[in-house]
Amino acid sequence: MKKWLVLLVALTGYAAVIIPFTGYLARRPVMEKIGYIPDCRVLRFVSADHQALVGEFLVLKAMVYFGSLMDKSGNEISTPPDYLSMYQAISTGLKLDPYTMDAYYFAQAFMVWDVGKVKEANALLDYGMKYRTWDFMLPFFAGFNSAYFLKDYAKAADYYKKAGELSGSELSANLAGRYLWQSGRTGQAIAYLSMMEKGAGNEAVRKSFQIRLQAFQEVRRIEQARDRFHDERGRAPESVDELLRAGVLSPPPRDPYGGRFYLELDGQVATTSKFTYAAVPKK
Amino acid sequence: MKYIIGLTLKGIFRDRVFQGIIVVAVLFLFIPSISTLSMRQVTELSITLSLSLISFILLLLSVFLGATSLWKDIERRYTFSVLGLPVSRSSYLLGRFAGNALFLLLTALFLGIIALAVIGFAHGMYPSARPVQWQTIGLAILFDTLKYVLLIAVAFLFSTVSTSFFLPIFGTISLYFVGSSSQAAYDYLHSSAEALKLISPVVVKAATVLYYLLPNLEAFTLHLQAIYGLPVDVAGLWLTTLYFCVYTTIVLTIAAIVFNRREMT
Repeated sequence: MKKWLVLLVALTGYAAVIIPFTGYLARRPVMEKIGYIPDCRVLRFVSADHQALVGEFLVLKAMVYFGSLMDKSGNEISTPPDYLSMYQAISTGLKLDPYTMDAYYFAQAFMVWDVGKVKEANALLDYGMKYRTWDFMLPFFAGFNSAYFLKDYAKAADYYKKAGELSGSELSANLAGRYLWQSGRTGQAIAYLSMMEKGAGNEAVRKSFQIRLQAFQEVRRIEQARDRFHDERGRAPESVDELLRAGVLSPPPRDPYGGRFYLELDGQVATTSKFTYAAVPKK
Repeated sequence: MKYIIGLTLKGIFRDRVFQGIIVVAVLFLFIPSISTLSMRQVTELSITLSLSLISFILLLLSVFLGATSLWKDIERRYTFSVLGLPVSRSSYLLGRFAGNALFLLLTALFLGIIALAVIGFAHGMYPSARPVQWQTIGLAILFDTLKYVLLIAVAFLFSTVSTSFFLPIFGTISLYFVGSSSQAAYDYLHSSAEALKLISPVVVKAATVLYYLLPNLEAFTLHLQAIYGLPVDVAGLWLTTLYFCVYTTIVLTIAAIVFNRREMT
């Protein structure tokens, strides 16, 4: 009888605690850091024959963390991501399983634009090319990084040539040739982002590509208006506003990152956001 | 010996171990949905998860069945009645080992069929860019099984020298971790100039001796080849099979010698 009484009291206590307990867990803020990533030598020992699983787990951890930072309503990143921890998780994951494509894809997605670590991203891609010898995506990414960010067109052409040979696709082959120069930076960015956006399985990552793609489509619209203005008036426009007033650009361009488009002295279209949320001060 | 093998298998099924495996195998049903977390390699992730789950279940079986089989018999004084029969101690030990190994093989076959179905389902939903190498997945499961059969032999050796189950269980688990990383440690010590500078030659020699002495389990792991459809070295697999036969024979022979000399009081 006494035991039943104790059990009844314990069950009543459980019922009283469980509702506030689950409520507390639901209200917890989004984790702000990925957490401690142990040294890969330790992980290699502990994971024994599950290295591929642990490697993929670390990459997924970084992806889930990144996704959790996306503001549900506006698809904007509400908290500045902890890029260093994301990089550590991914590079450790790749040491455990150098074949995992998710890691290369995700690293390329955030390292080049958001963090500006283009050389490091290319080093990671070069590492991946030693293992994923069949995959055209890695040289394609490295080619884009070399051309767009590093402006090393000879190296970019080599990467694109390799990507073209592996995929047999015209895009890479064209990029390796004259198209690399003819298409201009905006053309390259749109071609690259369209490809990345189509292949993104993760919703948060796809959204980030879509937003960047929208921004570059706006840039292209301004560039086309700028060229039209030049053809019609025989001189370069002074500002984006002048393009609007002249009626060659309508509707007004909108930077999805919250920045403002402007024309640089050499006529190049730029934005105050630099294509990242981080560059725009929060209101 | 057949009698002991049959008895061992019956005992394992009577203990409802197989029912336990069926319950754990329910986890396979979640693999296709978990795999969709991957951005670009859903099929590959389903193979990773399936192989890891099989390997984990086989590890638990080899450690707990292998390490407790003999100990339980001695503890329950069951050995007295069996050894009263016209069965030598060696035959008894080998029969127990073969029964456990056979059960592991049956479990691997059962789980392997489920895994192939699950991977096929995930591949049907999100086809991978590279064709799935089914035969390599089969080989990975087979070599995982061989690895854990070897581990059962090690657990038996520990059981013959121990009076409690602590040494067999923790000794086998320790050897599993050491055996899984001994190749990486050996490669590091013998190829890295930095390691040679930092580590004393005595430690390097001791590590080399241990490398040859302890079971090398890394050769049995074909997970990456199965996940990414990488080519397998057929000659290497034959050598690994040979290594398995020789190493298991040595371990079981030592276990039989020790068990023959053991005083059952």
